[in-house]
Amino acid sequence: MSASPDRDLERLAAEHAVGLLEGAEAERAAALVNADAAFAARVARWRDDLLDIDDTFLDGERPGPALWSRIQASLADKGAAEQAEPARLEPVALRTRRRERPWQIATAAALAACLALAVGLVSVAQRATRAPVLVAVLLEEGTLEPAAIVNAYRNGRAELVPIRTIVPPPGRALQVWTLWDRAVGPRSLGVLERARPLALDLSAFPGPAVNQLFEITEEPSSGSPTGRPTGRILMKGLAASVP
Amino acid sequence: MAMALRSGDTGSVVPDLADAIRGCAAGDKAALRLIYDAEGATMIAIAQRIVRDRAAAEDVVHDAFVQIWSKAKTFDPSRGLARSWLYAVVRHRALNMVRADRRLERVGDFEPLDLASPEEDAESIVTRMSDASALRRCLERLDPTRRALVVLAYVHGLTHGELAGRLRVPLGTMKSWMRRSLLALRDCLP
Repeated sequence: MSASPDRDLERLAAEHAVGLLEGAEAERAAALVNADAAFAARVARWRDDLLDIDDTFLDGERPGPALWSRIQASLADKGAAEQAEPARLEPVALRTRRRERPWQIATAAALAACLALAVGLVSVAQRATRAPVLVAVLLEEGTLEPAAIVNAYRNGRAELVPIRTIVPPPGRALQVWTLWDRAVGPRSLGVLERARPLALDLSAFPGPAVNQLFEITEEPSSGSPTGRPTGRILMKGLAASVP
Repeated sequence: MAMALRSGDTGSVVPDLADAIRGCAAGDKAALRLIYDAEGATMIAIAQRIVRDRAAAEDVVHDAFVQIWSKAKTFDPSRGLARSWLYAVVRHRALNMVRADRRLERVGDFEPLDLASPEEDAESIVTRMSDASALRRCLERLDPTRRALVVLAYVHGLTHGELAGRLRVPLGTMKSWMRRSLLALRDCLP
């Protein structure tokens, strides 16, 4: 194909507007929309043209009042989170940047870790807006402060969202467990090298149900050798239904 | 608002969506509600064709409104229509959701579309388009299969790979068809 650069940009803009792109090309198009006003204008022109297809969707059922209530609740949460979050993240970033030279490499790494964490939180927060049906708040043993949240969704998926940084000692790992029936005992949901957002596969178990226990213990790096929790409990919590 | 409902002789009052988006940027929740009332039903319909489930479509529209609220400042009316900006937020969210789900659940590319015939579905969409639509006129210049591919890709949020899988043609062939169809549309559109 002897594509002129102009035709190739037009093709990319069209495919981005249509929604065909994935992977590297999708990333390239998204980056160009932000960086290149001329490309953004091409995409906008395609979107305006394609609107004639959306105009055929007259069969849309009006959403009920419940959806609007959910949107309002999320905006209220978001407002609160925006006020709380920069207060915790920004001072770290600004302060560490100005430290003396020997620290700079470590600082850059810390900053990157902060960013990665922030990005992780944002994406988890975005997914979390899909109203979970059950939520478990895992409290840290001893302090009883919230350390992680488990969200379980209508479609059977669940996720663990840490809200505190927890790094096990060298050579040790974190293991996530659930318990829904004492006769069956706790079952492992995964082993982590540190607290990070994790998709949980609950499909092999009944439920999830109200009062199902979720907990994280400290275990050998390859996970508990017995298939049961052997190390100390770091945090735990019971699932509660979301009204 | 009672005035707006009396659509008999004067026609219904259509809100100015660009103004409403500006209102959102200024923190006016009533402006967001105006958008929701005017466009919520169409947004659900757009999302539902991509995620193929009413409850998931509502999740998409929920997320889209949260984004519209926080991204309203970035809307530039000189660059395009308010409605296409709003729908792009919905479409983007729906595509992200459905592609994340496909990755996680390893849904194959051969999942049926629940349509008797994809061409028929695309044709019925094209015939519902306004006679005055330049896009319709230009789509009708393409051969029927290529026309259907463009319409289905847009309406159902399918990737090149998914379209290639459904039509049992190599990915390279699909990319080349799509590229030529879209560039032909661009040359035809005013």
